[in-house]
This record gives sequence, C-alpha cells and structure tokens, in this order.
Amino acid sequence: MAHEPPVSERLVRTLQWVWLGGAFVLVGGIIVWIVHLIVASWRLDDVVQASVGISLVAIPIFIVFMGVVFYVFWGVAVHGRKRED
Amino acid sequence: MRDDHEDILLAPIERSGRGFYWAVAGLCVLILWGAIAYSVQFTQGLGVTGLHQPVGWGFYVTNFVFFIGISHAGTLISAILRLSKAEWRRPITRMAEVITCMVIFIGAGQILIDLGRPDRMMNVLRHGRYQSPLLWDATSISAYLTASLTYLYLPMIPDIAILRDRLGKRKLLYSVLALGWTGTEHQKKVLNRAIAIMAVLVIPIAISVHSVVSFVFSMTLQPAWHSTIFGPYFVVGAIFSGIAGLIVTMIIFRKAYGLQYYLKPIHFRYLGQLLLIMALLWFYFTFAEYLTGYYGAEPEEMKVFWAKFTGPFWPFFWSMVLCNFVIPLLCLTSLKQHTVGKVLFASLSIIIGMWLERFIIVVPTLSFPRLPFPQGIYAPTWVEWGETAGSLGLFALFYLLFTKFFPIISIWEIREGRESSLKEVEERIVSYLPSEAEEKV
Repeated sequence: MAHEPPVSERLVRTLQWVWLGGAFVLVGGIIVWIVHLIVASWRLDDVVQASVGISLVAIPIFIVFMGVVFYVFWGVAVHGRKRED
Repeated sequence: MRDDHEDILLAPIERSGRGFYWAVAGLCVLILWGAIAYSVQFTQGLGVTGLHQPVGWGFYVTNFVFFIGISHAGTLISAILRLSKAEWRRPITRMAEVITCMVIFIGAGQILIDLGRPDRMMNVLRHGRYQSPLLWDATSISAYLTASLTYLYLPMIPDIAILRDRLGKRKLLYSVLALGWTGTEHQKKVLNRAIAIMAVLVIPIAISVHSVVSFVFSMTLQPAWHSTIFGPYFVVGAIFSGIAGLIVTMIIFRKAYGLQYYLKPIHFRYLGQLLLIMALLWFYFTFAEYLTGYYGAEPEEMKVFWAKFTGPFWPFFWSMVLCNFVIPLLCLTSLKQHTVGKVLFASLSIIIGMWLERFIIVVPTLSFPRLPFPQGIYAPTWVEWGETAGSLGLFALFYLLFTKFFPIISIWEIREGRESSLKEVEERIVSYLPSEAEEKV
C-alpha cells in the first residue's frame, strides 16, 4: 500500500479548531433560531409562554452539548497534548 | 494488547472488493429511481402522488414516523447497554449508533419531500410557532441529531487514532478527527466522563423525540389519534423496530465482512430476547389502545376501528399483527438452535410489521375524518414507491460508505473489554453478594 507523506502538525491543529468551530456554529445556530422564535412570538404577542417554556428546556440541552464537545476537545486535543509534550 | 483479528475490522477500510461496487451500483439504481420520482413531483406538484383530500398524509409521513422509530436502534439501545454495563454490548454499539445518525437525516428528509415545495421549509425557520407540535418535532429532532452525532463521534476518537497510526491513507482526515489522541490516562478519563454524560443525556432525549412525534397525531381531535398512551406506544414501537433494524444490519455486515468472530450467536440470542420482550410490550399497548377505543364506541372512532379490522384496511392491520406479534413469538420463544436465522426472520418480519403499523395509524384516520369531508381511500403512485425505495437506498449507501471510512465495530472497546472487563465484572459480582463480614453481623 502506498503511504501518504506525513501531514503538517500545524495544518492538523488548524483544522481541528475549524472542526470545533463548525460544531459550535451548528449548535449555536439552533440556539439563535430558538431565540428568534421567542422574539417573533413576543413581537406578535403570540403566546410567548409556550415559546419561553420550550426554550427553557431546549436551550440548556444544546448548551450542555457544546460544553461536552468543548470539554473533550480541551481535555484531549489541547490539555492532553500539553501533558504529552 | 493487539488482537490479530483486528485486521478483519480494518480490512473493509483498506480495500474494497467486487461485492462493494455491486452493492453501491444496486443502491444507486434505487436512489436514481427516487431522484426521478422526486424531480417529477417537484416539477408537477404533489398531484402526481396518491395524496388528495381528505388523505393528505400517506407514505411520506408513514416513512417519517418509521425512520425516526428505527433511529431509536442506536443511541438509545447503546446508551442503555453502556450505562447498565452490559459487557456483550461492545461489538454492537457502534453499528447501532451509526444507524441512528444516518436514519435521522433520511427521516427528517421525508418531511421536506412531503412539503411538495421544499422552499416552504424556510417559513418554519422564519415564522415557526411553538404552539404547534410540528415545531416541537423540529426542535427535539435537532436535539436528538446533535446528541447522536456527538455520541457517535466521542467513542470513535480512539479508533480514529488507530486508523491514523496504522493506515497509510487519509492521514489528514484521521489526524484531524483523532484530536491528537495517544491514549494517555488523562485523555481516557476525559473521554470516558464525556461518554457517560452523553449516555445519560441521550436517553431522555430519545424518548422525548418519539413522544413528540406521537404528539403530532394525539394533539388533534381526530378519531383514533386523540389518545393519552400514544407517547409511550410510539416509544415502545420505536425501540421495537429499532432493535429489529439493528439485528438485520448486524447480520448483513457479519456476512459481508466476515465478522463472525465478533458477532456471535450469543449476541443475537440476547437481542432476540429483548425483541421478544418488546413484541409482548407492543402487543399489550396495541391491545390497550384498541380496547379503549372499542369500549368507548364513539361513532367516528368506530368508523376508523372497523375500517382497520374488517374494512378496506384489514389486510394491512392483520398483516401487522402477524408480523409484529405472531411471527416474532413463534421465532423467538426458543433460540437454542438456528439462533441467527430465527432472529433474522423475526426482525425482517418486525420491520415490515412496524412500517404497516405506522401506515395503519396515519392513513385510516384521514380516510374517515371527523369533519364532514367526503371519505377517501389512499393509493400510492409510483412516485411514492420510488421515493421510499430511494430513501432506503440512500440510508444503505450512507451506511456502507461509513464502513469504508471507519471500523464498524469499536476496536478500543473490544481491547478494553479483554484487558480490564474480566477483572471488573468479577469485582462487581463480588460486590453484589453478601460478604463474610456482613454475614457475621
């Protein structure tokens, strides 16, 4: 099997940050969308309680996801690597 | 500790045989059929389908509920087995988690197809109202998808590091995704903690998803939909079909990739027993649901009831009972011999039966509406058949391609099982039993 040349460590680290950023954009985008729906219902005076009630459950869940992903990224890719160095 | 058999797990990633290309070609034919059907529907409108007034939901919504149900195969089953420390889970969890992630995309896509005009989806994003259960669905499915992707990715990190170190190709991809994993104690601690958090989180999210899917029906006052047990009924059905889907996938890849060393008859026996329990539970819920409706004898409800039992939908209803209850009961009560064959037959039967169950829930109620609309029977056209075939093909193709990039059985979890589980299980068993010191007290 033909082996590829070694990859640049700098490029790998940059792409890992891009990867983390992508995850944050995805989850952050969903949170922004939920907030937008609350604002829309507020503006139209359209049963704001329903939007706020559901958001109170949904938004923390997405924040926890972001937290877990960041925790792993920091613990494995950043802190884990430093310890290894 | 490296196992010589690990090469079997890496072989599909290193090279592709003729079978792979034939499978891809076959699936592409299905996808092409689906694409042609969709392009016809897109240009000519939903009039080319069998959907009409009063039956506005047919195959697409049935497929949506069915696929979202199948998605429970993965994350939920994997999380329950992981949290309950079921050691036999190790070769199963990855396959299950991948099913979830792939099938959620396909399930959610059915709604886009059903819209006829997919650009209208933007209205949900811009002007959605949280009073509508449809929007609860969108939110809970987003949460489930995000959780499932995270829950799939985290346990893959050590395996991706193995691929990075052992394979001579896709170095950049594996290096990025492995996050610099070297297997230090600190990294293991972080990863195990994160997996445990996700396993706990994923269970209520998975249950909420199918409850919310059921709310789309039960929050209306339509006959045979307005039911308080629809939430748990849907969840039971989802887990039921999910396990069946998982078993079929396991057997296909066991055969195709020669994984008999990892997926043994004992795994199928345990899953078969789970399937039997779910079949009984499903029957209990179905019985309770229909008995309550029958005893109430509300005229509009009874029209739908008899349409299912003896009317135009009887072949689907009784086939559902046969596939979901009679056949699994016959196949799964004794699994001492021909375990894999019996479990496969029962699972295929359940997949068909559960699709029929979703169909039987969606269509008859709309055919006999409470409001004074004319009654109508739904007959799908080639467009709906094509899009259903295309969706199945797309799911299978995504899954197949995944197996060409990542190991379908978790290598590090098998290693971990070999290295530490025997001792850990022994210690756990000892901790369950009364100790001598306690006996003296």
